[in-house]
Amino acid sequence: MTLLEISNLKKSFDNNEVLKGIDLKVNKGDVVSILGPSGSGKTTLLRCINFLEKPDGGHLSFEGKEYDLSKISKSDISSIRKDTGFVFQGYNLFANKNVLENVTLGLTSARHVPKKQADEKALEVLKKVGMDGYKDYYPSQLSGGQQQRVAIARALATDPGIIYFDEPTSALDPELTSEVLEVMRELASEGMTMIVVTHEMGFAKEVSSHVVFMADGRVIEEGNSKEFFDDPKEERTREFLRLTEH
Amino acid sequence: MFNAQTLELLISSFPKILVYGLKVSLPLALTAFVLSTFIAVLVATVQYAEVPVFRQICRFYIWIIRGTPLLVQLMVAFYGLPLFGINANPFLVAIIVFSICEGAYSAETMRAAMEAVPAGQLEAGYCVGMSYIQIMWHIILPQAFRTAFPSLFNALISMVKDTSLASSITVVEMFTRTKQIAGQSYNYFPLYIEVAAIYLIFCTVLTFVQKRGEKRLGNYGIRK
Ligand SMILES: Nc1ncnc2c1ncn2[C@@H]1O[C@H](COP(=O)(O)OP(=O)(O)OP(=O)(O)O)[C@@H](O)[C@H]1O
Ligand SMILES: [Mg+2]
Repeated sequence: MTLLEISNLKKSFDNNEVLKGIDLKVNKGDVVSILGPSGSGKTTLLRCINFLEKPDGGHLSFEGKEYDLSKISKSDISSIRKDTGFVFQGYNLFANKNVLENVTLGLTSARHVPKKQADEKALEVLKKVGMDGYKDYYPSQLSGGQQQRVAIARALATDPGIIYFDEPTSALDPELTSEVLEVMRELASEGMTMIVVTHEMGFAKEVSSHVVFMADGRVIEEGNSKEFFDDPKEERTREFLRLTEH
Repeated sequence: MFNAQTLELLISSFPKILVYGLKVSLPLALTAFVLSTFIAVLVATVQYAEVPVFRQICRFYIWIIRGTPLLVQLMVAFYGLPLFGINANPFLVAIIVFSICEGAYSAETMRAAMEAVPAGQLEAGYCVGMSYIQIMWHIILPQAFRTAFPSLFNALISMVKDTSLASSITVVEMFTRTKQIAGQSYNYFPLYIEVAAIYLIFCTVLTFVQKRGEKRLGNYGIRK
């Protein structure tokens, strides 16, 4: 079942066309890894489909509803956001809120869920990411890996249909990277739909069902992840994979 | 100069001066501080949110207020209001002028503090479905207020001393009262030392309150 479909998404900053017509289809339960060299527009793509950046044009179909990206309304943006989660490279936890409040705020303030119910939900997702023992800590008291796991819990708390991850581990030391990847692996196995921009080839290869390779604002190649890694079609992809091999 | 007579004058005048500090100077400063903080939050938010038109109005307000002396503002209000048929009592005029004046400075403090909150937190708020107002209320303003708190309090301490300017529009506050007593006794110097000491006591107490306030507000687990 198609959950999200983007067609001909375009975005320019001033005269610099960063996304030159992106098409992407995500089915329910897919884990899509987006790979590509620095500056190819991966972050911009994720930001555009959650409207942190205003897309110039294109079409979005999300959960059966159709949207024209060039003139999408505020209320459509808000309803799409309410069913998506976003995990940032830099965590972006709310510095003035403790771990529990970071996770509950989307429920209590944006969705008017009663506090008690929100706390229960938060503890459940914090447990899933292994952070339930830190509910009273402030973000500044946690390691990067712990902060990112709380950020994942925050995204999970609102039961989104899909979660976008923008290089969730690239600000982390290798040993902290694995604790975050482990959580994401578990989410994938539970059937969570995710789009993950990543430089972790291991994750893309083993966890994702689908891989999209971007360069210069275009999708160069995509396919199921086994085919993509075993038998890349495009020269550009082969070169990229060669460069990232250690 | 420091004879028994002076000592007696100091002792007898102390409560008379102090009562004007407690009844006029401090209430003036504290009320104006509270009102100016409201103005500051409003004006800073309008600018932070880049609300068209209102933002220009706020810049204009800040430009006028920061570019003219408080003493002149007091005079303008005191002599200007009656021309519009408004005959407010001088104490009220002083409160309004002090609030408006302090509001302009504090607005800039608040705006800088709001801009210091990393933009990523605003984006994260959007991503969990919060509205702009909700993000302001729960995330941006509390952090900005914590950052601005020492500067705002600093302004309050300044204002306590500036209340003496209210004498220019016939408000009898602590300093004016001191001048009156000094004039009657022809013994100026000791009385001015005395009133200086009382201002110092007020400001010392406020500094203590500021330290306590900062502790209470906490710093979200950030160790200094
Ligand atoms: N806010 C912005 N204003 C102007 N240019 C921008 C902005 N954001 C991104 N760009 C430009 O868009 C291009 C794509 O950036 P983007 O961050 O999407 O790349 P990326 O694929 O995520 O790269 P990386 O792997 O380094 O994160 C870059 O050339 C960048 O300079
Ligand atoms: Mg990026």
